[in-house]
Amino acid sequence: MQQTKHGNRIPPEKTGSYAIRSIAVGIDCSPHSIASLKTAAELAARMHAELLGIFVEDINLLRMAELPFSQEIRIYSAEPESMDTAELERLLRIQAKQAEASLQREAQLFRVHHSFSVRRGMVPKEVIAAALGADLLVLGRSGRSPTCRKGLGSTARTALSGSAKNVLLMRTGFSAEDESVLVLYDGSEPSKSAIAIAIDLLRPGNTLHILMLPQIEGDDKAMADELTMLIPADMLRVEYHTLPAVTDSRILARYIRMADSGLLVLSDRMNLPAETIYNLIDEIDYPVLLVRDGGMNC
Amino acid sequence: MSIPSALHPDKLYRKCDPLEFTFTTTEELDGSLEIAGQERALDAIRFSMGILHDGFNLFALGPNGTGKQTAVMHYLSGIASQAGIPDDWCYVYNVEKPRHPSALRLPAGKACALSRDMERLVEALFTVLPAAFSSEEYQAQEKAIGEQFQERQTAAIEKLEKKAAENNIALIRTPAGFAFAPVKNGEVIKPEEFMLLKEGEREVIEKEIASLKNAMQSIMAQIPKWQREAQEKIKELNRQVADFAVKPLFAELKNNYSSLGQVTAYLETTENDIIEHFDRFLEKEGAPHEIFAGLSATKGSFFNRYRINVLVDNSRSTGAPLVFEDKPACQNLVGDIEHLSQMGTLVTDFTLIKAGALHRANGGYLLIDARRLLIEPLAWEALKKALRTRQIRIESLAQLYSLVSTVSLDPEPIPLEVKVILMGERYLYYLLSSYDPDFSELFKVAADFEDDLRNNPEGRFAYARTIGAIVEKDRLRHFDRTAVARIVEHGCRLAGDATKLTAHMQSIADIVRESEYYARENDRALVAAEDVQHAIDARTVRASRIREKLREATLRNTILIDTTSEKTGQINGLAVYSLGNQSFGHPGRITARVSLGKGEVIDIEREVEMGGPIHSKGVLILSGFLAARFGMQQPLSLSASLVFEQSYSGIEGDSASSAELYALLSALSETPIRQWLAVTGSVNQHGEVQAIGGVNEKIEGFFDLCTARGLDGKHGVLIPVSNIDNIMLRNDVVEAVKAGLFSIYPVSHIDEGIEILTGIPAGEADADGLYPRESVNGKVQARLQEMALKLKKFNAESNGNDD
Repeated sequence: MQQTKHGNRIPPEKTGSYAIRSIAVGIDCSPHSIASLKTAAELAARMHAELLGIFVEDINLLRMAELPFSQEIRIYSAEPESMDTAELERLLRIQAKQAEASLQREAQLFRVHHSFSVRRGMVPKEVIAAALGADLLVLGRSGRSPTCRKGLGSTARTALSGSAKNVLLMRTGFSAEDESVLVLYDGSEPSKSAIAIAIDLLRPGNTLHILMLPQIEGDDKAMADELTMLIPADMLRVEYHTLPAVTDSRILARYIRMADSGLLVLSDRMNLPAETIYNLIDEIDYPVLLVRDGGMNC
Repeated sequence: MSIPSALHPDKLYRKCDPLEFTFTTTEELDGSLEIAGQERALDAIRFSMGILHDGFNLFALGPNGTGKQTAVMHYLSGIASQAGIPDDWCYVYNVEKPRHPSALRLPAGKACALSRDMERLVEALFTVLPAAFSSEEYQAQEKAIGEQFQERQTAAIEKLEKKAAENNIALIRTPAGFAFAPVKNGEVIKPEEFMLLKEGEREVIEKEIASLKNAMQSIMAQIPKWQREAQEKIKELNRQVADFAVKPLFAELKNNYSSLGQVTAYLETTENDIIEHFDRFLEKEGAPHEIFAGLSATKGSFFNRYRINVLVDNSRSTGAPLVFEDKPACQNLVGDIEHLSQMGTLVTDFTLIKAGALHRANGGYLLIDARRLLIEPLAWEALKKALRTRQIRIESLAQLYSLVSTVSLDPEPIPLEVKVILMGERYLYYLLSSYDPDFSELFKVAADFEDDLRNNPEGRFAYARTIGAIVEKDRLRHFDRTAVARIVEHGCRLAGDATKLTAHMQSIADIVRESEYYARENDRALVAAEDVQHAIDARTVRASRIREKLREATLRNTILIDTTSEKTGQINGLAVYSLGNQSFGHPGRITARVSLGKGEVIDIEREVEMGGPIHSKGVLILSGFLAARFGMQQPLSLSASLVFEQSYSGIEGDSASSAELYALLSALSETPIRQWLAVTGSVNQHGEVQAIGGVNEKIEGFFDLCTARGLDGKHGVLIPVSNIDNIMLRNDVVEAVKAGLFSIYPVSHIDEGIEILTGIPAGEADADGLYPRESVNGKVQARLQEMALKLKKFNAESNGNDD
């Protein structure tokens, strides 16, 4: 990534046009969502897409504050404090402003068009609703979950199960610009779309890992032949892995951890059972791009 | 009384016979230096260096240029090479008290080795520690600890969340913490719906939420404890990993220095400190903005703590150190703590401690010029303190005087074992002895260097060896023995005594070098007597401007000096002018006038405060002589005045007192004095003529004037007989004496001198104390009697008029 003298980063030149014209990103100021925002901005710059920031004022919180006995336990004092609706609304407005400021900062850095919307309601529902017009929804793997669990947050789960959009689930410690990419490939059309997107996402110098999942042992040869048609001849760093006849998400997760190759690109419409895919996404601690709309590249 | 004869030419110059030398040229000498004629001083040096008790330091006293430093260095270089090599010293970081760096003592040569070893070790740590902490094993363990904490926290909250969910209550994250709320179909119950519930149902929910809150509070209260536990585990893990990485490196180092307890203790402390601060070795280089903010400098300075500041390195020494400190400023003696300017602030650390001469000379010998030491502020006090306390404590002058206000260091003092040799003029020694009580405690031995040595074969050969050594050292042309003999004669002249040779070796060395210059100019392979003479003459000419001006003024009668006629009450005295390192003689006219008075002799020089105390003393002495000789029969009824004519500056010394007495006797006796003679010598109350200084210059001064006017055989000088041994005159003077053109009369009593000066016998008193009428003394007696009668008559008439 080059840098101008003003510090703005210029995305590398890409040829062709993209189906992704709009990228929505949910921002709740959690670390995962900040990572999501950075990635979304970088992708928007690369694909000349518009960036849409979404902040949702959680209706559950507001309702709770109106309940007569409502109290919150502060993190740093562990003491219960009465909740005040006005105060809560003020805090939510501050969070919204922080989210907008973060969006503006990243958008300016990557020089992308951007807009920001604040909605009120149930967070998963509102995020998906706000992202209806977008071609890609970028979310943190988990948001402001009380339990700090490793698995997916409620919004991410809803986006996987209740949306037909391409969904990119990010987590802290990863960046789309620095990482290699691992694609699950089983020969299906959706997995071919995943390969195409992965090639577009991959930055020069990074490695494209392809994990071939032949249904029958020995199919990997045919798969490799297919892939040579899909992968540009000038692409130097491609590594092939084979894991035949696997349907267990835990085995897949273990293998992917071992490969440790960054962003995981897959489709929930490939030959593998969707449940395996969702379990894998829940289990794996890597950023995941779930491809659904038949490829980004026209 | 018989008058003395003029001195024979042989008495005027002590020749050095070149043939008495067994060598032909100085090339045949071995070129080694011999300190001759200084046995007393050398004994003192030997004693001082040999005695090992406190305070037996040495003060080498004597005029500058007498070879004190050469002698001391010559002796010390002999014993220093035989002495043991002292230990190395270095300063290291003090982990417990960073402001008090620790001093580390190591065997000679080990300090630099330790410094190199530590540098290599730290360099290795920058590889070893990051490797250890980026290893898969460490990462996995660290992650496991973090996850363990996370899981513990998650499990507790999830359990509570599950319990809450069983009662349709959700745990919700608020902007500032956590809260519980009743839910229906995954959404928090709207307040109006909640209010529609029966009171009993609401109470159950509220009770349940209250219970959950309590449980949540207890979980929250435990989280910091779990966090601490996790941090402790990570800390322990870090310590183990750092220890594992660092230990083998230190083990090797400790093994190398196992015999040095202090070093192994230091290594132990440093090892623990590195383990404590392992994270510093993991940090990457500062980003550009950090460098700008000065953070990188701070980071760099952190690792300074593992450096070794080698203060004294004796790895190349072959014996005890022998140090001459040319600029004995305080910080050059006891060392200094330097500072660096960082972002406008002065900072320092133990690596900026600089060694002083005392550090370098520790275990050996330190030579210092006393005058230079005393003119350096606080240096003398600092040296005394170091010697008294037997340790070197570095104190920054700037800190002592609050010239800078910044954090400084107080390094651990280093034990001191040194012999200090001060060198200086005698007056410095006597001043220090008188005014500084510490001095005699700390410098108990004085090596008093002689000003001259005997002019005997040993002395002359010592001169030859000295010349040979100078030639060898300065790579000059060698001297043939005639040149050596001429230099010996010059040394004799400089000593101002024909029986002595000057010990001012600096002057001899100068004339050696100057002579060699002229030999080179004349393309001579060897320096000959002519070259030495050339150098001596050239030196005289170079310094002769004032002398020639004076002589010119005299020849033009601007300064009135009569060298041909006879005058009453007037005499030619001889004075010596000292300008720089050159001196010359010149005659001066002294006159005396008498009148009736109360027996007083007025010294006009004293009256106008142009005469020094010794000169005034001389005049009073001659008054005593007059009173004793002529005042026994009658009171001295005279008033006499004495003056140096055309003297426009002060006069000191009593060497003209005999001349003044001659002038006074001439005035009283009305006997003219021969102006072609000049006089020098002091006189005592018995009329005996006593020795004076600068006799050669005085004789030559008058000789030069008379020569300029034309010698006619009458010219001469009266000198005290006790000065005969001091005569070492120029060759032209000796030749003139040989030719009978100039005479030098050695006079022992004033009566001898007056007869030479007037041609009339002084006369001897008979039993009644009366002198023959035609003698000078008889005329004086008669004149004084006449004056007494006149005064008596005058007084009587005055008294009658008064009545």
